Amino acid sequence: MVNFFPTSKMPLRLERLHGLSLFVNLTPAELQIVDGLLHERDYLEGEVIFDEGEEGQAIYIIASGEVLISRHEAGTAVRAVQPAVDESRLLRRRHGDFGRVAQLGAGTFFGELALLDNSPRSAQARAASACQLIVFFRDDFVGLLDTHVRIASKISRQLACHLGTRMRNMALSVGAHHHLL
Amino acid sequence: MSATINTSALPRRDNHGSGPIVLAAIIAITCLLLLAFQKLLWLVVPFLLALILYYFLYPPVRILIYRGMSRDAAASLVTLGFLALLFIVVVALTPWVAGQMANWQDTVERYAKGGLQLLDSSLRNIEAHWPTLARAHVADTTTARLVQGADSISDHLEPVAIGIMTWAPSLVLAPFLAFFFLRDGRRFQHFLSAAVPNAFFEKTLYLLHEIDRTLRAYFQGLINLTVLDTVTLAVGLWLLGIPGPLALGLICAVLAWVPYVGSILGGLLVVLVAATDFPDAPGMAYWAIALFGLVRLLDDFVYMPLTIGKSLELHPLVTVLMIFVGGAVAGVAGLMLVLPVLGVVTVIGETIGLIVTDPRLMARHRHALALRRAHASRDL
Repeated sequence: MVNFFPTSKMPLRLERLHGLSLFVNLTPAELQIVDGLLHERDYLEGEVIFDEGEEGQAIYIIASGEVLISRHEAGTAVRAVQPAVDESRLLRRRHGDFGRVAQLGAGTFFGELALLDNSPRSAQARAASACQLIVFFRDDFVGLLDTHVRIASKISRQLACHLGTRMRNMALSVGAHHHLL
Repeated sequence: MSATINTSALPRRDNHGSGPIVLAAIIAITCLLLLAFQKLLWLVVPFLLALILYYFLYPPVRILIYRGMSRDAAASLVTLGFLALLFIVVVALTPWVAGQMANWQDTVERYAKGGLQLLDSSLRNIEAHWPTLARAHVADTTTARLVQGADSISDHLEPVAIGIMTWAPSLVLAPFLAFFFLRDGRRFQHFLSAAVPNAFFEKTLYLLHEIDRTLRAYFQGLINLTVLDTVTLAVGLWLLGIPGPLALGLICAVLAWVPYVGSILGGLLVVLVAATDFPDAPGMAYWAIALFGLVRLLDDFVYMPLTIGKSLELHPLVTVLMIFVGGAVAGVAGLMLVLPVLGVVTVIGETIGLIVTDPRLMARHRHALALRRAHASRDL
């Protein structure tokens, strides 16, 4: 039967995208456009998503599973020139628990600075469990800024909110919150 | 108009990928591709035309997407608009072309003989000033040989015409290919990137964007350069009083797509027209040569930097050598195809070189493979 009055219900895939914090303000039509730009990748537990120091090209959004963000401790050398690290440290790093910064769950995103500039990644990302990630490539985001300003501004706003929250948390943790009121 | 391709924007965190082995591989693969393309010319030429058309039609598609239209609708609308315009132009020009076709053989012979007369009078002028040349009968010998060749022009014209007629149906493919490039280009990119292992994913995405950016810069630059060349030549020829300046300018600008050889052919064409239409004024042909030289200088020093850009370059030595190699390997088709093919193969080759020589990326890939093997056999 022909459906003359289609309901506003979104397809499952778009509904899932709408549930992600970065795209929460987008309308179904806008989500459809963004969906055409996104890539999906599956990672197994322990698989490296990107390395610290690597040139960042994309932002990653966690659709399912968990991701561990870790960073080398200050004072330790880069892995390629670090032969004298003791066995226990190596073992811990192999399990992705070295210089742990955060463990992120479904709906959150990481590697967002890659959308803003092409500076090196400041930490390593590794799958803490089998996970599915949605990848948004920087050049696609830049293209979106040209072709769909409204969508790009909504995403940028969410990104700014996220960075603001993170800065506030960092400031609170070091007791400098009066600068950020 | 020998445009060159940018490879400077590659991710060059480590330079260990682009050594002499990678360069040798790039050159070898380019030659092999040119050889293969020569055999598949009936498909490669429409494909190349479709690429030019794609980059020509991409800006209006982008404007429509910018105004809120879906990619599918924008691609369909712009392609239909182009086909409608093409249909109108063909319908309008058909009676004129049919009229010209009736005496095209006479026209070609007339212009060839006009050129010969100019050459003969020029050589006799030189002989008048250089007795050594006069004693060697340079003018007589050269003219006799060329007249012999010109008499057989009509024998060569028929196979050329038949060849063009055989090729015409495959050229119809170009707009259809361009439509699918416009509509499904992004899906193709997704399809390709989905096949890449996780460890190389970001670099591959970058590579695909870089190829697109390189080809866009090349072909859109080429289109802009053709427009500028056409206008400059048309104005110059109009000022000289040579008939059909716009058509001649356009033909010369399109011929210049073939590096070096195309420019020489274009110049020869203008000189032939000037010499035939003004047989009593040889100065007109010399003015036409001067105009062509001026446009070449403008092309190299003003228009090319404005359109294709100074940043778009391979090493000049590699470029020139590859043009000769392209010509030797695949003839005129090789001359036309060598630079875009070399540009794309260079971007791919350098990126693959960077990936396979990056020990960390390879280690991550091996680690991911080991994890997948362990995962697949966990309950065996």
